[in-house]
Amino acid sequence: MEELLKINRRNFLKTGGIAAAAAALNLNAFDAIAAGDLVKLTILHTNDVHSRIEPFPMDGSKYQGLGGTARRSALIKSIRASENNVLLFDAGDIFQGTPYFNKYGGELEIKLMSEMNYDAATMGNHDFDNGLEGFHKQLPHANFPVLCSNYDFSNTLLNKSTLPYQVFKKQGIKIGVFGIGIKLAGLVGDRNYGDTVFLDPVKTANQTASLLKNELKCDLVICLSHLGYKYNTDRDSDQLLAKNTRNIDLIIGGHTHTFMDQPEDVLNLDGKITTINQVGFAGINLGRLDYYFERYKGKRIKTAAPYTISDQLDS
Amino acid sequence: MKHIHPVKKYLILGAIPLMLSCSSHYMLVKSNRTDYNMNSNQPVDSAVIKTYLPYKIKMDQEMNEVIGHADVLMEKLDKKDDKPVAENLLRNFFSDALFHEALKYDPTIDFAMPSTNGGIRVALPKGDIKLSNIFEVMPFENEMMVYVLSPADVQNLLEYIAKTGGQPVAGLRMKIVNDKPTEVMINGKPLDPTKNYKILTSDYVAEGGDNVQSFKNPIEKKIMGIRMRDALITYIRENQAAGKTINPKLDGRITKD
Repeated sequence: MEELLKINRRNFLKTGGIAAAAAALNLNAFDAIAAGDLVKLTILHTNDVHSRIEPFPMDGSKYQGLGGTARRSALIKSIRASENNVLLFDAGDIFQGTPYFNKYGGELEIKLMSEMNYDAATMGNHDFDNGLEGFHKQLPHANFPVLCSNYDFSNTLLNKSTLPYQVFKKQGIKIGVFGIGIKLAGLVGDRNYGDTVFLDPVKTANQTASLLKNELKCDLVICLSHLGYKYNTDRDSDQLLAKNTRNIDLIIGGHTHTFMDQPEDVLNLDGKITTINQVGFAGINLGRLDYYFERYKGKRIKTAAPYTISDQLDS
Repeated sequence: MKHIHPVKKYLILGAIPLMLSCSSHYMLVKSNRTDYNMNSNQPVDSAVIKTYLPYKIKMDQEMNEVIGHADVLMEKLDKKDDKPVAENLLRNFFSDALFHEALKYDPTIDFAMPSTNGGIRVALPKGDIKLSNIFEVMPFENEMMVYVLSPADVQNLLEYIAKTGGQPVAGLRMKIVNDKPTEVMINGKPLDPTKNYKILTSDYVAEGGDNVQSFKNPIEKKIMGIRMRDALITYIRENQAAGKTINPKLDGRITKD
């Protein structure tokens, strides 16, 4: 029991209800995984990489020497080598920020993401910087889907280029992932987004998340969002999105270049946890969230119990 | 079916748990989170370097050219202690350089707000300024624009600058009091609230970027036909050619109470 208490203190428990059970689970995690009763899913993510292929130059600036695709790729490879179920996502603004984009139009950014085996990405406002045509032109280099649920591209060049959502399967777990983009008017030049129709982010997210969780029976629903973490005004943000929706477990955010000390856990409309995370910009950090699922037999439980949350990995 | 045979009954009962065991489900029980800093302690993947090296070599041939020299580091310092910074070296350099270049083509421009704070992307280093630095500070293909605005629209712009706690400007001074512009000086003279002013800006700002609404109904509008990045490069090269370094100063052009 002393052991349990120790773990309880170390882990930040959101709710007491299943604390003891979860702590016990923590102790026996290896056995449970070996028995197939516990499935571990690892989510890795970036946002606002902004064409930062190489680390920031050593020039005395704040982020000198940080970032770089070669390091990120090595880390991703090592995580993939030790974990069975890894998914890698990006929350947009892949383009713009170094001369690589000015010179090559985003070709290298997309090629490297494909090489790192990104599983999906959404579009940020800067991904429109060379117009719809500029983005479209680089898509042949992508071996991952671009997910946008609230940009209606029907009347544009991109009408067959994106998907609203994608369902991934990992060891029996279904993960539904969709993309939410920021309002383009006032942020992106009119010509650059053309006849793209912007749909309400909260409403669209709610519909898409409900579809993924309730109809397509996903065990985890992830939103790749380029809305931005939070604002002082009532502008759509990840915080507003989390509070005003149901069925989203995780929002991987971007746009505001926010370095969060730790992910934020918000109670959504159902009183359940929607986690928001964002890892700054330029590939300075790589975010990681491990989700553990326990297999049970019988009917689907509608009122899922709260789960334990810790801001450190199991060693 | 009044009488269920015992064997059948057994089978039916047996079938239920069998069915259930086929339909296993998963319940989220735990989440652990962390992030990794991509610093020099991280190993590198040489396959990725191999992919980008040909692009890098070609690009560096152009971009590593030293075009000038800065005496100071110009940080992208937009907030301090979570409060907006009214003025910084990077904005002053950026605005003064573009104002200087634009005045060559039109000496009647009164003042400049060539970008918003968000449009100036990264710091400029102390020492050698390479072409790549300018591409990073101004990666966008935006152009310089000259607008003549009515007194009401000028006021709208001044209020935007004050409300947002300061923006990159040249030829303009103001004190922000209670988020409002006061003691506004344009080109050394107090603001004339009855006068139209000629303002240098960018197509991005003029089209309402970052929610600037002041340029929607101009009295006159002129495309200069010069990209902002090209103008910055010209400015730095000319200083270098004249044996001068880039040495921006804080001059209190915008202060906040």
